[in-house]
Amino acid sequence: MRYADFTPYDLVLLAQGLGVTVGLFTLTTLVGLLIAALFTLVDYYRVPVLRQVIVTISEALKNSPVLVQLFLVFFGLPAFFHINMTPFVAASLTISLNTAAFAFVIFRSGIDAVEADQVAAAKVYGHSRWQILRFVLLPQAAAFSIGPLVGLLVNQLQVTSLISVIGVFDLTKIGNILNLRTLEPFIVWTVVGLLYYALAKLLASVGARIEKRLRRSVVWEGI
Amino acid sequence: MIVIENVEKRFGETTVLKRINLTIEPGEVVTILGSSGSGKSTLIRCINGLEALSGGSITVDGNDVSTKAGLAAARRRSATVFQLFNLYPHMTALENITLAPINVLKKPRAEAEARARELLKLVGLADLASAYPQRLSGGQRQRVGICRALAMDPNYLLLDEVTSALDPEMTGEVLDILAELARGGTTMLFVTHEVEFARRISSRIVFLEQGELIIDMPTERFFAEDGGFAVPRIRQFLTKMKKD
Ligand SMILES: Nc1ncnc2c1ncn2[C@@H]1O[C@H](COP(=O)(O)OP(=O)(O)OP(=O)(O)O)[C@@H](O)[C@H]1O
Ligand SMILES: [Mg+2]
Repeated sequence: MRYADFTPYDLVLLAQGLGVTVGLFTLTTLVGLLIAALFTLVDYYRVPVLRQVIVTISEALKNSPVLVQLFLVFFGLPAFFHINMTPFVAASLTISLNTAAFAFVIFRSGIDAVEADQVAAAKVYGHSRWQILRFVLLPQAAAFSIGPLVGLLVNQLQVTSLISVIGVFDLTKIGNILNLRTLEPFIVWTVVGLLYYALAKLLASVGARIEKRLRRSVVWEGI
Repeated sequence: MIVIENVEKRFGETTVLKRINLTIEPGEVVTILGSSGSGKSTLIRCINGLEALSGGSITVDGNDVSTKAGLAAARRRSATVFQLFNLYPHMTALENITLAPINVLKKPRAEAEARARELLKLVGLADLASAYPQRLSGGQRQRVGICRALAMDPNYLLLDEVTSALDPEMTGEVLDILAELARGGTTMLFVTHEVEFARRISSRIVFLEQGELIIDMPTERFFAEDGGFAVPRIRQFLTKMKKD
């Protein structure tokens, strides 16, 4: 047995990498969706100034490469503001904001997709703006948004692999280490790829189940 | 009482309502007639606050719809039934009807639901309380729309062409209910193209022509040879309606 051969311990390494990827993905998804929800509220209530600010931020995030954003946060911010930035914090911050920017657009289109006639009815029946959001817009926007949102998250899961370049020990980084040690790129990257694939499939099936529940009551027309 | 005084409505350069004056007393059924684009829907939308006035004033039982508090109070006193029903598709018939009573009038849920079931029974939909709008026919949807309005215990019903999206049979279903309400003393402001029906149920007819209210007459006068019929524009309108 050569030093470079696969060992059972490699499975532990892979599991650790998988854990970091799943953990970082879950964290950034939760934070990202929370920020997106806040952005959506600012937009819905047309908060002056703040509304322009978030639209600008989200435009900037959507229209630049994630890798560049990651470098800006990891190298740029510490250099400019003289602060410490660990790879994990930089990665979490970048991907959370990136998820938020795209999810915000999805939420906003979900709300816009609800017929104006229904909002008019709710208004004349005396509902407050908050009640209209809660009872009329959100339930329908959620059903409209869940499909695109799952698509986004599957994509963001793949995007997390970028963080390996700044030294986070995620699944891709572990793959890199195993590859350099064993010189078996075909086996290593096939296994790593399959793990990402399995995660994505899991995510999609959970999403499909939620979507079915959100739409159970209504045969939606024209979507 | 709904009092409309010198109401003006402009969209940009176009004036859609010109110095409209109209008073609706409790118990009256007032029909608004007029050709397409004459401003009928706009007038209704000014009363329920979906459009802001460009001039003049509207009060509903003394509540000025141009002020925030006045509009909120006015909206509790009147209820609107829409041409395209405007139901909430993700809610059952019962939920559509109880949403505002529970959340706006703050009625206890049980009471709101009992009242909603009563109303559904009244319009012949007792079995469809838990049906979603998409499973209902147009006529059934509009009957739910009427229940939603009645559940607010409104002093005034505002109805804008509530049957024009329905086929003749369903139109009949809905008009029967409205006739019943009219007999029961419900105050209504009613926009319609159903001239014969208007003649049967309304106490007064007003006629809008290019944003101007040119006629306001008791129903018999309006259809009398020496009344509305004596006005060339009205005669022309009624004759054309008969032919259609
Ligand atoms: N939001 C708007 N912006 C600009 N113009 C409008 C708007 N709403 C209505 N109008 C115009 O105002 C005029 C009156 O419209 P309104 O819908 O009140 O007519 P109507 O009498 O209800 O007609 P119909 O019988 O076809 O329903 C029309 O010329 C219409 O084009
Ligand atoms: Mg109209």
